[in-house]
Amino acid sequence: MTLSQELHRELIFLLKQRAVLALLVFVAACASFTVWSGLEEIDQQRATIDHLLSEDRIDREAVLEGQSDYGGAAYYSFHLTYDAPSDGAFLAFGQRDDHSWKHRIRMLALEGQIYESDAGNPALAINGTFDYLFLASVLLPLFVIVLLYDLFAAEHPAGRFFRLAAPTGNDERLWRLRAFVRSSLLALAILLPMWLGAGVAGTGLSTVLLVSLVVLGHLLFWSVIAYWFAKRNSNGPVIATQLLGLWVVLALLLPFLGGVAVTTLVAAPENSEIVLGQREAVNDAWDLPKETTMNAFVERYPEWGEQAEITAPFEWKWYYAFQEVGDQSVESLSTARRESMAARHTATGYLALLSPPLLTQRLLARIAETDVIAALHYEEEIRAFHATLRAFYYPLMFGDAPYSLETLQQLPDFVDPTAGS
Amino acid sequence: MKQITAIAAAEWHYWARSKLALTVALVALLLIVLAALTSAERTNTLAHERNSLQSDALEIFQAQPDRHPHRMVHYGHYAFKPPPPLSVVDPGVDAYSGNVIFLEGHRQNTAMFAERENGAVPNLLGSLSPAFVLQVLAPICLILIGYGALTREREGQTALQLFSQGVSPAQLLAGKFLALFSVALLMLIPLAAAALSAMHHGEAVSIVTSLITGYGAYLTVWILFVIFASAVSRNSAASLMLLLGAWTLVALILPSYATNSGRLATESTGKIESDFALLAELRTLGDGHNSADPAFASFRAKLLETHGVERVEDLPINFRGAVATKAEADLTAVLRRYAEQRFESESRQAAAAGVYGWLSPVIAMRELSMAIAGTDLLSHHRFLREAEALRFDFVQGLNAVHTNQLSYQDDMNRSNDPEAERRTRANAENWQVLEDYRFGAATSKARLANGAGGASILLVWLLLGGLLCWTVGRRRIL
Repeated sequence: MTLSQELHRELIFLLKQRAVLALLVFVAACASFTVWSGLEEIDQQRATIDHLLSEDRIDREAVLEGQSDYGGAAYYSFHLTYDAPSDGAFLAFGQRDDHSWKHRIRMLALEGQIYESDAGNPALAINGTFDYLFLASVLLPLFVIVLLYDLFAAEHPAGRFFRLAAPTGNDERLWRLRAFVRSSLLALAILLPMWLGAGVAGTGLSTVLLVSLVVLGHLLFWSVIAYWFAKRNSNGPVIATQLLGLWVVLALLLPFLGGVAVTTLVAAPENSEIVLGQREAVNDAWDLPKETTMNAFVERYPEWGEQAEITAPFEWKWYYAFQEVGDQSVESLSTARRESMAARHTATGYLALLSPPLLTQRLLARIAETDVIAALHYEEEIRAFHATLRAFYYPLMFGDAPYSLETLQQLPDFVDPTAGS
Repeated sequence: MKQITAIAAAEWHYWARSKLALTVALVALLLIVLAALTSAERTNTLAHERNSLQSDALEIFQAQPDRHPHRMVHYGHYAFKPPPPLSVVDPGVDAYSGNVIFLEGHRQNTAMFAERENGAVPNLLGSLSPAFVLQVLAPICLILIGYGALTREREGQTALQLFSQGVSPAQLLAGKFLALFSVALLMLIPLAAAALSAMHHGEAVSIVTSLITGYGAYLTVWILFVIFASAVSRNSAASLMLLLGAWTLVALILPSYATNSGRLATESTGKIESDFALLAELRTLGDGHNSADPAFASFRAKLLETHGVERVEDLPINFRGAVATKAEADLTAVLRRYAEQRFESESRQAAAAGVYGWLSPVIAMRELSMAIAGTDLLSHHRFLREAEALRFDFVQGLNAVHTNQLSYQDDMNRSNDPEAERRTRANAENWQVLEDYRFGAATSKARLANGAGGASILLVWLLLGGLLCWTVGRRRIL
């Protein structure tokens, strides 16, 4: 028999097995559902961002109308920042809720604003999200186990084992072919809906290829493991139990215990210290001699040294100077927080080398840009935008520019560099 | 009865001989103990940290020097959410919700620093808590130990032997049930230990016993279905596959599917989004910083009339403080209305997801467990409401100082006249308006009432499992 004839025969054999066929249909249905909900969710998030952008503009314009100086304008006008979903985000939309992807900020001390979170419903988060990431990293191994655990064992009671094995002798070709056909159909069941979804979403080809590779890699790992276990034993339930045990260890215990270990070993600053410290610095400034604040400010902005003298009990430029100096006072803590998040993410990366499900999860979240790296990147963008805002207002305040609404038309807008890609 | 215990004892012997069953049971026990220990460590640390931060925040506030009371309104305060004692068993939504809120005048901030942001493993399935192990992993252990309970007897032809000795099918089922139930009891021991430690921290007996009973009932549901599957399946392999499929569906797929449908059930408007409507509404109320805002014209006229004077300067109180008080009250009414709307839509989403408890006992158990532990969405909303009440009280306390202790003239001139500015600094004794605040779990009665929904679904599952075993199961063993 030629290879194609053999493949054909195995395919026919498989299609006659109702349970196997039902499982494949179920997997395809699950994959389609996750893809569909992902697309819906991402569509909704894009619509939300568009809606917020227009509301944001209306609100700012209404606020600016009532202002009479730049200090007041900066105090009362908020600006929307956002992290638009990537073209692959529909595959891992569950993780997008772990970090806020929208913030409205103004020119006050950023450390007092950036940790506000417009997060999703915590009651929904506890159950996890049925997204493609969950399917491909946690559930896929279970499907492989069910498909392959009785590859050999099922033939023993059926009395076909020796009959089937006989013509090929010790050659495992038949079994390998059978495992290959089952795994390939499983791959199709899980990949096809994703390809379709990617087509609808207009996902880039490289993203689709990478996701497919990760999913295939994960599937291959479990197929090889399941085949190996299946061959070693003739008792189906025992094989299934062993494989399930392995899954529990790799997909649940390692990530859990590793998470506890990583959180314990990689220290992070107490988050509350950042906001509490920032508040003290900002509030103390009211009572400090104004030169103290202005000197600290001029150190960063020597260009305003000439205009840094404050004579009245209250001046806006002094007010914003102490806001910025307040941020500076917790800069090291704030940086340490972000560094610890990144360090924990890296440490988890090493852990993922021991756990293919965790590795799959990380790779997919990275491709979909819904992981910690993406969240930190968005935070950088907010910080950069806040700096742009300050760069816009400082010349107006320190240069004593006459107030004009027209100048405020030039107010910078937050632009998400990843949007529209 | 003697026959039932004999069958249970025989099952124990079988497990002791087959290393697999023994390993599974031991691993399960170990996991629960491990989860209880890490969870206890985490809960104690967080409770200690947040309680001491709360005390510090109060102390720092009260230690502020003399200053204008409105500056204290913006200096603000913090509310922290320490985990309740039973967080040791079930941390619930607390890992996903913020636990610190900055409280200040004119604004309602969000809770910050949810644990899930911390950068470590983003767990797709929850956290390693006794609740998770008992809800998700314990059933799989019961399945692995029990899938062959009856199929094995049939495959080895031992069932007939038993029946010929006068054992009835019901007794056989009861014996197997007893054996598995004793395993479940073993699994409940670490839970009981954790719950007892929570009692040491002030949890009521009724709460602790309800929690343990709830988990006992939940594991019983699984045992009944394991026995049922084993009784009706053709062979051990079919029984195992049936149970594993059910477990995957009920413990992994349905809960996360419930999330998706909860999201779709009600469109939840994020805070930023609802804030826009709120801001537009607030603009019509007037800015409390500006007593000349035309929005306060009628308030001004009424105040002048009440005191029988012509000018705000002649009022016995500081008009600016009076405006700040009124503005804060008006604005807070609006803020609260929007907050309540948000709570309601979150609750509706959670309820839409909770309906799936009728399809999955895991979901019902989760609801019950969180409700009793005081770590559910309702508790989080209660924290947000209490924090808001705390915010309003101290802001209005400070506004009263602003109204009654500061002169209007000085208040108007303080930006230009350093002497007037000095006179507008209120005595630091006034900062005692801030009261000590501790977030604690709801009363036992309220929590038990919250758990009633999950408990009744679980009861239906229990009855269904029992009924299936009694009717179909009993007949099909033969």
